[in-house]
Amino acid sequence: MVRNNKKLLIFFIAISLPFFIISSPDWLKINGISPCWPVICLLPFSLKNSRLISAIASIMLGIFIDSFTVSDASYIPSLFLLSLVWSQYGLHNKKIELFLNIGLMAIFGTALVGLSIWMQKIILHVSLRNNWFHSWSIYVLISEIIITGLVAPFFSSWLLFTFKKN
Amino acid sequence: MIKARRKIGFHVLLKSRFWVIFFFGAILFGMRLTKGAGYLEFYSLLLKPILPGTAQREWIQQGEKIEQHLRLKLLEEDNIRLRRALSLKEFNSDKRISAAVISRASRSWWQQLEVNKGAKDGVLKGQTVIGPGGVIGLVDSTTPLTSRVRLLTDPGHQIGVWVDRTKRHGILIGMGTNRPKLIFLNKNSFVKIGDAVTTSPASTLLPPNLIIGVIQFIDENALPAPYAIVQLTASPEAIDWVQVLKNNG
Repeated sequence: MVRNNKKLLIFFIAISLPFFIISSPDWLKINGISPCWPVICLLPFSLKNSRLISAIASIMLGIFIDSFTVSDASYIPSLFLLSLVWSQYGLHNKKIELFLNIGLMAIFGTALVGLSIWMQKIILHVSLRNNWFHSWSIYVLISEIIITGLVAPFFSSWLLFTFKKN
Repeated sequence: MIKARRKIGFHVLLKSRFWVIFFFGAILFGMRLTKGAGYLEFYSLLLKPILPGTAQREWIQQGEKIEQHLRLKLLEEDNIRLRRALSLKEFNSDKRISAAVISRASRSWWQQLEVNKGAKDGVLKGQTVIGPGGVIGLVDSTTPLTSRVRLLTDPGHQIGVWVDRTKRHGILIGMGTNRPKLIFLNKNSFVKIGDAVTTSPASTLLPPNLIIGVIQFIDENALPAPYAIVQLTASPEAIDWVQVLKNNG
């Protein structure tokens, strides 16, 4: 059983994550926006593991996700920060796998990731500084938060159970 | 023998000869009044079966098309010759690579497409990608079998364009929505809503005269330069096949 769970875990992270990012299925979108997959994967891993391991995992995950996007802004700073916060929060015998709790943490995580990318875009592109209140950014941020908040309780809870069993 | 005098009265009107004369007169009067319309109508009805039909119209249209095609070909050849003389980029429709969109993120933080043709097929970084409607973006990176296209709508993405009617250059900047911002290089743009925005014929990076969009809003008083909002003619959200133009690599 433990071996099976481990296989599932490896399968989900190594195969399903890039598959979801590339294919971005329409049935998992709100207003054309996909869930924030790095947050969904990092959340259970950081809750279960120590600060150092989580930080290393977040950097590796950030590098991996950044390879699927066009240049400039990066996921690494926000994921690194989230890994530190979540690993500090940890499980500590909490019933963290409860749906709402996981969903709420994913919502805050996605908001931080979105704001970080938004800020990076403004810093990197001079042309975007003329108009700081971008309708597009608000649109993407809110849509991503909603869809991640809906998806995370299912995927992250399952991942957390699997991590705990392993 | 004395014949009885004929009675003169209304019964004369009932005589057939009178009615013939009356109708003949009425027809003549009507013809005069309508300037012979009845005759002309009748004549046209008679001629209808032998008039040039749809087949003949098609021949004429086909002939016109052939003539236009030949003229276009001659003008294109002339254009290429002149562009070569000025060392400008050429636009050759034969050098296109058709590619299918295999992944789409047209509304996310990064607005990009993945297409199924890569370096192996001759796709290079910086090449122009067009779809039904016009330019949709530039090739950002390639792998042997795939290419990543950065859309014109991607925030911060910049390309040089011009408005053909006023011959004014500007920089088109992606703003995340389907309506990028066009910042003009001149103080007065003189553009109007509805003007077409194309790639510059003087560009050394992009093929010339490719349609990008239509001006939808203008702010002539903006500082430091006037700007316009452009509605793109191609919609990356609905495109499944694109064409990569090889000749600007």
